[in-house]
Amino acid sequence: MKKIAAFLLALSLIFTAAGCSSSPAASGSSGAAAPKEKTDLVFADVGWDSIKFHNAVAGLIAEKVFGYTWTETPASTPISHEALMKGEIDVHMETWTDNLPDYAGDLAAGKLTELGVNFDDNIQGFYIPRYVADENPGLKSVADLKDYAHLFPDPDSPGKARIFGGIPGWSITEIMEKKVQYYGLDSQYNYVIPGSDAAMNATIISAWDKKEPVVFYYWEPTWLMGLYDFVLLEDAPYDAAAYFEGKTACPSVRVNVCVSNDFAASNPEFCEFLSKYHTSSALTSEGLAYLQQNAGSTYRDAAAWFLKEGHPELVDQFLTSEQASRLREAL
Amino acid sequence: MEWLFNFPFVMKPDLNAIDSAVRGFALWASPVLDGISGGLTALVNGIGWLLAHIPWFLLIGAVFFLGWKSRKSIRSGILYAALLALIGVVGYWNAMITTLAIVMAGVMISLLIGLPVGILLSTSRRLNNFARPVLDTMQTMPVFVYLIPALLFFGLGSPSAVIATVIYAVVPVIRLTSLGIRQVDREVVEAAASFGSTRMQALFKVQIPQALPTIMTGVNQTLMMAMAMVVTCSMIGARGLGVEVLNAVNRIEMGRGIISGASVVILAVILDRVTQGWFGKEEK
Repeated sequence: MKKIAAFLLALSLIFTAAGCSSSPAASGSSGAAAPKEKTDLVFADVGWDSIKFHNAVAGLIAEKVFGYTWTETPASTPISHEALMKGEIDVHMETWTDNLPDYAGDLAAGKLTELGVNFDDNIQGFYIPRYVADENPGLKSVADLKDYAHLFPDPDSPGKARIFGGIPGWSITEIMEKKVQYYGLDSQYNYVIPGSDAAMNATIISAWDKKEPVVFYYWEPTWLMGLYDFVLLEDAPYDAAAYFEGKTACPSVRVNVCVSNDFAASNPEFCEFLSKYHTSSALTSEGLAYLQQNAGSTYRDAAAWFLKEGHPELVDQFLTSEQASRLREAL
Repeated sequence: MEWLFNFPFVMKPDLNAIDSAVRGFALWASPVLDGISGGLTALVNGIGWLLAHIPWFLLIGAVFFLGWKSRKSIRSGILYAALLALIGVVGYWNAMITTLAIVMAGVMISLLIGLPVGILLSTSRRLNNFARPVLDTMQTMPVFVYLIPALLFFGLGSPSAVIATVIYAVVPVIRLTSLGIRQVDREVVEAAASFGSTRMQALFKVQIPQALPTIMTGVNQTLMMAMAMVVTCSMIGARGLGVEVLNAVNRIEMGRGIISGASVVILAVILDRVTQGWFGKEEK
């Protein structure tokens, strides 16, 4: 009897504590006429290092100019998109608009706020290592792959080759699969989906270390492309309609900065800065290269270097003159 | 007052050195690792080929027969056969065969390693104490920490999936075999000794038969843990039901997730019930 009573008492204490601790935060966001400015920002972290770099740059400005604190929430691409629309994530620095099949619909329905283009000069496609390209000068385009199936054997199905695609959940994964079928490669190649970013990177690095031939889908800017020498296989010129059937090269994807509707309403000044946040693939790669070359540096260090020494002109582009001088003092 | 709440001494280990060491090892040991990888792939492909070449009605019939015999009731047999047929009806038959091949390969290797190690551990308390932290690590180390080196060593797909499954699933059979043998009544062992049996004879003819219910529980748990690794294996390129679940999760397709998840559950339950009934100890 005593044990039951003690247990019930403990349970009720836990629930009371949970209720008290969550109520101020929960009740604040509903129905306020002028939404309170958020000072603790939540950025999306979909796992790529380029987004972590951009989070660090925007976060550094958030801290030094606006006096905010910020955190990153790890989530996969579709899940961070859902969280952004719900308002659980405030800022998504790299919305790869083509990888989210519902993006256009959601934007039209007003479920999120698109502030501007982060960069739109990235490249995607099938890559081969430089040593394979050097040894096989005839292998220049995706169509050529049908003559080189013997280079890429699939240990899981003897007699066939394998070509690695994207991660489950990305639209590009299906488009690349259609591309393999369109060029008639599916009779010789198995389209293998690695299952996760980590598995894909590990497979590519392992092949590079052993100097084995490998053909795989990848994109730039990434640390992998910056560190190793891979060659993009050419394809037919881009055409909007044919692209979705896999018949042409991939267009540069518009990578946007998006915020949740709640955040757009509560932090208009910060959103103005974000709408001026334009970089490029080359600039992002520079930031990532800094990280690779300076062992032990963090994304914060790279962001600080980027704004202070790498590209100080961007500070004037992103911020008003008063904000810019505040940032320069802090750095 | 900050010093009270911030840990005072931080010294980060040299992570780059660890990375280069692992990658260097992958390169240096490449012949051996490729051999292991090839062997595992052949094993999984062989089992897969065998299962794929059994006509579907024979497989369902086999499940019916095993279910009937192990649970001693025709209704169980019919139920399990119907559930298995359901997996086929939702279109996951081939995926199920692929998953079954990987799971069976993993369980076979786990038992081949686990049973002897369990028997070995039962003989000495000191060995047991040494092994316990190792077994704990194998079960609690976050899976991707040893999966990424496994990918570097053995490549994407079935070999790494089998290795991951073995590392996770071999622990129950080791623990329970060792436990079962050590828990056999000392008086029974003494009686055997008094009749003139050697230690090995006592082990194989007295202790192991007495410990069989516990050992079979270990085998059953190993099977269950191997099934639990199915989705993780799909993240490192193994094909089968896990890929369906992964796709569903990544695309937020809840219907697909529920159906593919249910197929995994059905497969696990059938394997569980069928292997449990074999040696008499039943869990209701």
